[in-house]
Amino acid sequence: MTTATGILQRPWVRWAGLALGVILAIVLPLVFDAGTNSTLARIGVFAVAVLGLNVIMGYTGQVMLGQIFFVGLGAYITAYGVSQEWNIILVFILALALTALVGLVIALAAARLGGLAIAMVTIALPIVGVPLARRLGEFTGGSQGLSARFSGAPEWAPLYDDQWQLYLVLLIGGITFLLTRNLVRGKYGRAFAIVKENEAVAASMGISPYKYKVLAFTIAALIGGVSGFLYMVVIQYTSPETLSFGHSIELVISMVVGGAGSIVGSILGGAYYVLVPQLTNIIDPNLTAMLQGAILLLVLFLLPGGLVSLPRVIRRLVRRGDQGGGPGTRSQAATPQPVAASHPSTERKQDT
Amino acid sequence: MQTFIQLVVDGLSTGSIYAALALAIVLVNQATGLINFAQGGIAVLSAYIAYQFTVWGLPLILAILASVVVSFFIGAFIERYLMRRFEKGDPDTAVVVTIGLLTLITGICAWIWSYNNLQFPSLFPLDTVTIFGAVVSVRSLGTIFVIVVIMLILQGLFLGTKLGLALRAVAINPESASFSGLKVGRLLMVGWGLAAALGAVAGAMVAPQLTLTPGMMDGALVYALAAVIIGGLSSPLGAVVAAWLIGVLENLAAVYVPFIGYDLRIAVPFILLFIVLILRPQGLFGRKVVVRV
Repeated sequence: MTTATGILQRPWVRWAGLALGVILAIVLPLVFDAGTNSTLARIGVFAVAVLGLNVIMGYTGQVMLGQIFFVGLGAYITAYGVSQEWNIILVFILALALTALVGLVIALAAARLGGLAIAMVTIALPIVGVPLARRLGEFTGGSQGLSARFSGAPEWAPLYDDQWQLYLVLLIGGITFLLTRNLVRGKYGRAFAIVKENEAVAASMGISPYKYKVLAFTIAALIGGVSGFLYMVVIQYTSPETLSFGHSIELVISMVVGGAGSIVGSILGGAYYVLVPQLTNIIDPNLTAMLQGAILLLVLFLLPGGLVSLPRVIRRLVRRGDQGGGPGTRSQAATPQPVAASHPSTERKQDT
Repeated sequence: MQTFIQLVVDGLSTGSIYAALALAIVLVNQATGLINFAQGGIAVLSAYIAYQFTVWGLPLILAILASVVVSFFIGAFIERYLMRRFEKGDPDTAVVVTIGLLTLITGICAWIWSYNNLQFPSLFPLDTVTIFGAVVSVRSLGTIFVIVVIMLILQGLFLGTKLGLALRAVAINPESASFSGLKVGRLLMVGWGLAAALGAVAGAMVAPQLTLTPGMMDGALVYALAAVIIGGLSSPLGAVVAAWLIGVLENLAAVYVPFIGYDLRIAVPFILLFIVLILRPQGLFGRKVVVRV
């Protein structure tokens, strides 16, 4: 047990794992069929959206119910820029910068309120966003929406469109994940954690909760913009429906199910967002909402850390099972557990 | 002038629906310190239950009263078997639980009664009366009247009865309340039950106007949340006044401000919310909360 984790923690193993991941990311899109590739690409899009939500909600502890608004905003900016035939690099930068700017302005007002008021202000974003998108038809195409086809494989690359799109998602999404990981593990991440733990304590330590909430909110919006750009790369079409309230709630559910405050959890959340509704739809479309709600509540009850904590929980259970038989283990086990109680050798020991 | 009066009365009527939900939210918040996003979902479920009773042949008024009673037990049940587990932990987790609950309850309604619109009969006749030259529906006046009565009962309950005192004590400091012999768990259950019963009233009021669908209350919930913040989380009176203010301003803005119109009027409460909160972060009627380290 310990030797296995010891090997995993050595630097060369980590680098080898990273290299293996990169090689897989390069090779697999060439191997998979188009359907798998586009599913993977969509998972990537929403993994980035969940990652942004994690920055403000998972790491900074501010309930945010409007993340989809920033995804939709990024998608709309991208679609509009492409329809105006602007340079795609410029469109990308605009999608990020404008989304972050809108996020900053909202955060400056919302972060003043503190606590649950932030949740209630952010709930307004998708709810006002949908009629707003319909109203500003000149830019958004109204209820019809906008489509933009710019992500076909270039002629110099011997690739299919789905492969090219997946590579774009892997590249841009991968960089976003890497930068975010560095952010939340560094100085800012520690400040976020203290704000999450207790704002009054943070303030007394000289960490301004307001400043860090605004910062986290803006970064969440920025990452939402990245996700919106990728949304247009993969889905190539956006309408007011993109930023509906239901989708925003689904993003929150995905984040919690994947694992709040976790990088890997964000990827699991993206997979959940894309795959599970497909599965529940197969069972019965009328049941989808009920199953989604039930899954969320079950996860909160049984696995509060989300899917990402599953290996840890299993490992703990296994370890308890192993130790139950050894001598002197009762003192090591901090809490009485059902697994050990049912262990025959433990019971015998208690009898004597 | 006629249009204006018409708009104000209609605004008060829709505002009253937001007010009923807002009162339910204030009630749960006062008892648990939690914002209950599932409140709209519970109200929808109650409306469906009332509908089912009428289908089974109960007269409307009895069906609504029966659904109020059933909803009380549903609310108490949710508190006892679901929320209690999360009440002591991180409040953000508890809020996410209520979001899951909202999804679950909406899903249950959709599963049992499908997503199709159902006709829900109105408690009030469809007649109209003329006030100062404006034509006002009896339904609007009836809705306003019901909400005023409920608000007065709630104010009376909180300020004038032992139960109200106990509920407030539990909300302010559950530990001290339990040391003074109050049964905190029982009181929390009662608080949730009362909130659900109030939601049932809101559901029965709103269903005839919107026709009954699982997502019927989503919009009203958002207005109610805005009203709760504007009015201040601790004040039933503030919540009702704010809800009326929102209802009226939204109606007026839809007609008199061309850019807003009917499709963007949902933005009105949030513009109002921003203005109020920047000037007075604790809300119009709220108490300032002091945090100690």
